[in-house]
Amino acid sequence: MPDDLTALHAIQSNRPPRAEESLPHRAMRHRGDVLAYVLVLGAVAISLLPYYWMVSSSLRTMENMFRVPIQWIPDPVNWRSYVLAWHAQNFTRYFFNSGLVAVAITAGNLLLCSLAGYSLAKFRYFGRGVLFILILSTMMLPLEVTMVPLFLIIKQFDWANTYQGLIVPFLVDGFGVFLMRQYMLGIPRDLIDSARIDGASEFKIFWQIVLPLCKPALVALGVFTFREAWDMYIWPLIIVSKDSLRTLPLAISLFMSSYGTAWDQLMAIAVLGTLPMIILFFVLQRAFIQGIAVSGLKE
Amino acid sequence: MSSAVQPRKLATRRWLHLGLTEKQALFGYAILFPTLAILFLFRFLPMIDAFAISFTKYDLIHPAQFIGLGNFIDLIQDPLFRNSARVSLIYVVFSVLPVWPLSLGLAVLFNRSLFLKDLLRSSVFMPVVMPAVVMAVVWTFMYQQDGVLNTVLGWVGIDPIPWLRSSSTALPAVILIGIWRATPYYMVIFLAGLQAIPAEYYEAAEIDGASRWSTFKDITLPLLKPTTLLVMVMTVIVAMKVFAVPMIMTQGGPSDATRVLPLFIYQTAFEFFDMGRAAAMSVFLFVAVMLFSVAQIRIFTRGED
Repeated sequence: MPDDLTALHAIQSNRPPRAEESLPHRAMRHRGDVLAYVLVLGAVAISLLPYYWMVSSSLRTMENMFRVPIQWIPDPVNWRSYVLAWHAQNFTRYFFNSGLVAVAITAGNLLLCSLAGYSLAKFRYFGRGVLFILILSTMMLPLEVTMVPLFLIIKQFDWANTYQGLIVPFLVDGFGVFLMRQYMLGIPRDLIDSARIDGASEFKIFWQIVLPLCKPALVALGVFTFREAWDMYIWPLIIVSKDSLRTLPLAISLFMSSYGTAWDQLMAIAVLGTLPMIILFFVLQRAFIQGIAVSGLKE
Repeated sequence: MSSAVQPRKLATRRWLHLGLTEKQALFGYAILFPTLAILFLFRFLPMIDAFAISFTKYDLIHPAQFIGLGNFIDLIQDPLFRNSARVSLIYVVFSVLPVWPLSLGLAVLFNRSLFLKDLLRSSVFMPVVMPAVVMAVVWTFMYQQDGVLNTVLGWVGIDPIPWLRSSSTALPAVILIGIWRATPYYMVIFLAGLQAIPAEYYEAAEIDGASRWSTFKDITLPLLKPTTLLVMVMTVIVAMKVFAVPMIMTQGGPSDATRVLPLFIYQTAFEFFDMGRAAAMSVFLFVAVMLFSVAQIRIFTRGED
């Protein structure tokens, strides 16, 4: 895109195109580009090595696991690690638990963050500014700070070892509200007012006019929230002691402490636990990256 | 007669109008309510409780007993807590400082034309995709004495490093993972910032014959300042909260070398059942997180009324 713009400006300003422009390998224009490729490829190698090592080790036999010299390509291929690991513990259940918790938290955030964001962006009422700052200030109360009393509160509710205990405290998030509010500020007020004049109910306006306009923000928030929820470790570690309620991260960490030397099985489980994120990333790549980019949003 | 009706009509109209805005305000409150309720119950209330519990001795079994500032005085004198605060500080400084130039550098590299740019960028992004627990498990395996990292280092003549087994290398090993994970994350944020800089600035610089370095120094860096500030604050906050990786890889060892503050809070509360002391530690962590969060919120809301 910037390159197209440069070309466009060159035409408009009647400058002769630079001689290099006609070279077939335009990207190799400068010596600096070689350096750029070396650096980028180095970063790619560092980023992917743990992935390669995880996948290849899940397929390596235990005899070859620590061979000297190192065995880069598994031979023979050991598929059994996947079957053994899956059946060593109740991983079907753990996958289901993680999926249920992550989907519920994501759905809750999509609904509640957009409702709250809509309220803060488009309605006038007493105390709105203070409420907005209060909601935003929850960003300074991370779980790492509040885990002890939150655990005591959940215990009071009798929600330890329950799905609601895993889900409800995270159904809405201050940053998500902020994100939706910023996005909704951009929706023209006239659009909402004319719908009101047409006699549409407030809820209908939200559901049928405002929400569809927020699709890009919702997708980004959804992917971001799902990733965080799938990743959640410290909270299940605190409130789950029953096997039937373990989420995948918790199960993987416990699997490691009990099967610590069965590296092939451990890597197989690691691959399976990463798979949903990889699929999500490749299907919704733009939204996934957008979800990260908006976490640095500044207006 | 008509002049007597007039003001009444007006008043009625004004009341109707008021009624409408009131109805809307009510709707505004109503749709905000679930959010307020959840945030109050599960964010503010726990924080208030944290302060309250920090003044007590409480082990979950016996009733909480008020001991004033006892926990805080104990903590300040406790070598384990001081060690934990030191470990956290080292983790924050050394996991954060390299990330700033690395993520900005990568963003600059990807903000130009490259062959197969999208594929390369997605590859570099992959550390963000891996769940934290999986990351801890995979890196533990790679850090084995005869594991892949020591093999690769052996190619360039570096002797095997004991990584997680030695108290002098365990913390650097944990820090390295933090850098691996954070760099692509902030690269994406820097990229968004870079793409928001109007191309005209660069064209003007090119016409003036500015070198690449001076273009970067005099145009990119100043215009990227808000993004840079935000990244600085966010990286520090995230680093202060690190938990899963040291918890899974070392449980704080060897000899307390990786016992960061969140891990020490967790262990004090849920392994030693000293809730009061853990809450007092939470208050320390809260103050540290708050200082940086306030800066973050101020960046977010800059230019608002």
